[in-house]
Amino acid sequence: MADMLSRLRPWVFPVLVLSLLEWYVRSVADSSDALATPLQAARAWWDLLWLSSDEGLWRVTGFTLGTAALGLGMGAGCGLLLGLLLGLSPRAARMSFLTVEVLRPIPSVALIPLAMLVFGFGVRMELSVVAFATFWPMLILTQAAARQVEPRLLEVSAALGLTAWQRTWWIVLPAMVPRLFVALRLGVAVALVVAVTVEIAANPNGMGYAMMIAQQSMEPARMLAWLFWIGVVGMVINVVTLRAQQWAHVRMGGSVTDTHRVSA
Amino acid sequence: MNLLAQALRRCLVWWESIAVLLIFLSVWWLASHGDWISRVFLPTPEATWASLAQGFSAEPGQDAADLGQASWQTFVRMFLGWGLASLIGVGLGALIGMSQIARQWIAPTLEFLRPLPASAVLPLAISIFGLSPGMVLFVVSFGAMWPVLLATVQGLAQVEPRLKEVAAGLQLSRLAFVWKIGLPSTLPDILAGMRLSMTVSLIVAVVGEMIASQAGLGQAILLAARSFRASELFAGIVLLGALGFVSNALLAGLEQRLLRWQRP
Amino acid sequence: MALLSFEGLGIHLGGREILSPTSFEVARGEFVCIIGPSGCGKTTLLRAAAGLVQPSAGAIFRQGNKVLRPSREVAFVFQDYTRALLPWRTVQGNVMLALEAAQVPVAQRAARVQQVLKTVNLQAHQHKFPAQLSGGMQQRVQIARCLAQSPDVLMMDEPFGALDAMTREALQDELARLVREQGLTVLFVTHDLEEAIYLGDRVIALRTNPTPQRPSVAAMIDVPIAHPRDHLGVKEHPEFLRLRRELYHYLGHG
Repeated sequence: MADMLSRLRPWVFPVLVLSLLEWYVRSVADSSDALATPLQAARAWWDLLWLSSDEGLWRVTGFTLGTAALGLGMGAGCGLLLGLLLGLSPRAARMSFLTVEVLRPIPSVALIPLAMLVFGFGVRMELSVVAFATFWPMLILTQAAARQVEPRLLEVSAALGLTAWQRTWWIVLPAMVPRLFVALRLGVAVALVVAVTVEIAANPNGMGYAMMIAQQSMEPARMLAWLFWIGVVGMVINVVTLRAQQWAHVRMGGSVTDTHRVSA
Repeated sequence: MNLLAQALRRCLVWWESIAVLLIFLSVWWLASHGDWISRVFLPTPEATWASLAQGFSAEPGQDAADLGQASWQTFVRMFLGWGLASLIGVGLGALIGMSQIARQWIAPTLEFLRPLPASAVLPLAISIFGLSPGMVLFVVSFGAMWPVLLATVQGLAQVEPRLKEVAAGLQLSRLAFVWKIGLPSTLPDILAGMRLSMTVSLIVAVVGEMIASQAGLGQAILLAARSFRASELFAGIVLLGALGFVSNALLAGLEQRLLRWQRP
Repeated sequence: MALLSFEGLGIHLGGREILSPTSFEVARGEFVCIIGPSGCGKTTLLRAAAGLVQPSAGAIFRQGNKVLRPSREVAFVFQDYTRALLPWRTVQGNVMLALEAAQVPVAQRAARVQQVLKTVNLQAHQHKFPAQLSGGMQQRVQIARCLAQSPDVLMMDEPFGALDAMTREALQDELARLVREQGLTVLFVTHDLEEAIYLGDRVIALRTNPTPQRPSVAAMIDVPIAHPRDHLGVKEHPEFLRLRRELYHYLGHG
């Protein structure tokens, strides 16, 4: 019984807040074009779920997630490779330092108009901004992961007389895997956020755009439904990547109790 | 001789980095002058520089965008939003983090809101507040609040248990504990959250300007893209990068000063 | 009236009986050392006396009042001193915390801090941060903060356990001196038998896994060696050797 109650606890606060909003919007902001009650938003979400047109939940979500995934693949992939190079070669790291520090602070949203100019609207535009946004954290974190291999292990590899190739393949890369999963988790979160942001700002596709259109067409229930759904998608993806990260941590020999520390 | 060798080596390190950066610049120069990429998309470095210069000396009413004014607007928006977000984030975070009961009931909801893109709140804010500078500031503060809030709540939950016992022994009131022990020990996390907040506030400020047509760099680069004025677009991107760089550097400096006790 | 009175104190934790009903008294100005093998509940006993742990049976009385929660009259010195200090405050700031907590009038604080720092010989280092200090100095900062509380009783949980032998001996002497000067009552937990006999007026040895036939308190012996004591002299004293022999097997060696 106590266990069931503690399971319900996380829901109490949001249910309270939603009920408050329900009462507030219904009574104070009556029949407004700008606001909808949580129940109306739930109804709108349910409708979207079963809509089979281009504006249906799954098609639209699929666009955002697919584009984000493509962008992540490109950006994080390049970031991983370059990060490996910079992490393993101190010389390369020194040489690239200034260039990285100059290009890194550019906010990804600043590239939206450029992407628009070059690609017009659609997948490529969004993909390129996501790729830029996910490239940098992956680069930095991979580089750090490569540099932070337990020094003791490097001493062991020297004592065993391993070649550079053997050392990299047998020791450095496996040691990096848990941290790479942490970086990947961050990259996934960034990819999703940037994709939605691009859709809100410019790209007429995907969840962000659907939400903007609903607001502009004075359909507040639908807008709130999309807002809620974006939150849910983000949370689910976060949980999935967290599990993946914890699995990788344990699989590569980390202690099970340790996983809480890594799940920053 | 040894000192000289050391000094030479340090110079060499810097020169290598500068050389790589210059190579990138040369490639840019060649690509634009040699029309490898159309000048519609890639302006020459000199044209970008000219647009920058022009942007800062523009008379009001002239055709060219007043980049100086735009930069200032974006900066103020970003800074004010970040400042508000930090204050509210720490305050609310302290309130929630202070009580274990509050933490247990509210923390799960916070975890749900964590992955939500800050810009996703824009349509809702537009519904409520309309298109205005105040609306953008609100969304900037709201979005930038979460990293600081979450860092504060989490940090207060992880205060060194020994210090809690010391506080109990000294019979410190709850408020005194949070002010003298809880918040100072959480300061490293709070400062990291504030850095993240700054990034978020810049992004949301730019997106807000783009959507709500508010004066600033976001609007400037969007207009430049729409009018195919590539050099102005690039000038804006450079300025945004500079804004990001300077604000991050200043915060990093502040962090170093405040956390001197960590590595004295 | 005794300063501290343990009446039938029993503690049950994690399904185990850590401490079987124990009764004894501590007089004002007494230095009582508690020894025993690990798991015998000596730290738990100390923490209960400081109000950090609730008794499962019996009670502890301080000046006639039941001990239910921590209070400023009882100062607790932890073994892991680094974790018990505020890393962002200087030595002076750390000691000041005790005065701020007691809401001592601001005008009196500075003088009291200097007085306490002088007692533990840390005046020269008062503007340093804990990270800049050695282990022994950090422990002295903690002791200084506890003294600043003007406590009735000083509880010390293996305070010198994490220090090297030379620092430990120096701090033992310093502790003995200031306890004598200030007339403090001390409850001192240690696993070091020689330290217990060297410092204590009385030594209490505890057993692990107490049963009704073999209760927690295995022995309670007075130390009839005069103060002030010095390391070389005491460790060759016949009483010292006798007590050492007698208490040795209570440490789980036998």
